Amino acid sequence: MGERRKPRFLENRLGIAGNIIPWVLMIRDNPERVAFVLHRLTGLLLIIYLPVHIFVTSMTVNPQKWEDFLLLEENPLAQFFLWILFGSIVFHGLNGIRLLLVEGLGKGIGKPEPPEPPYKPTSLSSTQRTWLYAVFAIWLVVWIVGGIILFREFGWF
Amino acid sequence: MGVNGNGRPATRVVKIRVRRYDPETGRRWWQEYRVEAKKGTTVLDALLRIKAEQDHTLAMRYSCRMGACGSCGMLINKMPRLACETQLLDLGTDTVTIEPLPNFPVLRDLITDFGDFFKKHRDIMPYIVRESKKENEEPYREYYMPPDELNKIIRFSYCIMCGLCYAACPVVAIDKKFLGPQALGQAYRWVTDVRDEGLRLRLEKVDDKHGVWRCHFAGSCSAACPKGVDPAQGIQLLRSKLVALTAGARREKKPTHVATPTTVRYVDVGDAPKPTVEDKSLLVKHLEETAQELEQDLPYVAQALRDYLRTITSS
Repeated sequence: MGERRKPRFLENRLGIAGNIIPWVLMIRDNPERVAFVLHRLTGLLLIIYLPVHIFVTSMTVNPQKWEDFLLLEENPLAQFFLWILFGSIVFHGLNGIRLLLVEGLGKGIGKPEPPEPPYKPTSLSSTQRTWLYAVFAIWLVVWIVGGIILFREFGWF
Repeated sequence: MGVNGNGRPATRVVKIRVRRYDPETGRRWWQEYRVEAKKGTTVLDALLRIKAEQDHTLAMRYSCRMGACGSCGMLINKMPRLACETQLLDLGTDTVTIEPLPNFPVLRDLITDFGDFFKKHRDIMPYIVRESKKENEEPYREYYMPPDELNKIIRFSYCIMCGLCYAACPVVAIDKKFLGPQALGQAYRWVTDVRDEGLRLRLEKVDDKHGVWRCHFAGSCSAACPKGVDPAQGIQLLRSKLVALTAGARREKKPTHVATPTTVRYVDVGDAPKPTVEDKSLLVKHLEETAQELEQDLPYVAQALRDYLRTITSS
């Protein structure tokens, strides 16, 4: 018989992987989670971009510097980044309106009625789900159409 | 091997992969078992059969086997579910992976530590809090609660504390101090209760950056809940209530809405009604006749009838 060792317990927290890797944890019928992840990612991008944007707009004070900066737009990578940024702003804004209604005012999540079999959560089948699909639809249309206009301007096709 | 009506075999051998953990060596590994499953075989049945017939070192927690106690929450095929309410054949895969619930410390194999989870539930004071100290410490009568007020909270009182919402929550996965969907859902349940006056006390824990404001409505808690408790709805309603209270758009629930125990009045139902048959002679006659009829076949029943007859005639 071996000596009894002190038991060690395993901290089993999923961390960021549980948020962004879909096959770590699967929840059925939950597009809100997709929106949650996208909202965080786009929010992160925007908060990084915001100081850069303020710095960039401050360049207009010096016209020569501004002209030099505008040359950066010829870079295809910068153009692609602009498109990603545009999509982020559209999604974050649209979903933000939905979240303000749902989280701040408690709209679109139904009333807490007594549950009945098959025990479907009301908040996930109420108006907010429709708003969510609308957000996804408007976002994709605006992003793609905006992309076509943007890349035509850049002379990609 | 029999065949079902749909032409598929009635039983199927399912490979079960269990994520095991040994707390003494700290070893973590996948172990495979094969179990014959038929219609109705739950994951918990399979695990218990493995424990009985194949490997008795496998450890899991369970109690009622019918989705009422909330002990057997596990990650089944990467989905947080109750093992007793998940049927093997319903999952539709030949290999079923079973892991302990995430976001809980693992004690051994599939057993997780709920200490933190229960502490967070205690933190929001899941009981009626009254402003009067005497009422809190020496309750002497029940509180009045209209049925429509009960309907507002009954959804949240079906919580069995299985921890599936806590495992599903993407915020709990990042923030260790976050109260979690279960505790916040229950906070809404007690704050909304008409009998309760403890809003201010609960806000100390709830109105915090690790409290209600940390939720970002991923909705996974409600999607994972096996009882339809809908914690996501509770949290959003709690938050909108806080927003309205802070903005002054809604006034705090008045204590007058709550009937104090002394105002509960009991209706005097009076004495029992008088017997409608005043004349006992008909009953006596009927009983005597019946006793005579039963004398031959059922003498003890006849005796009992005569005993009863004696009591009613003597009084």
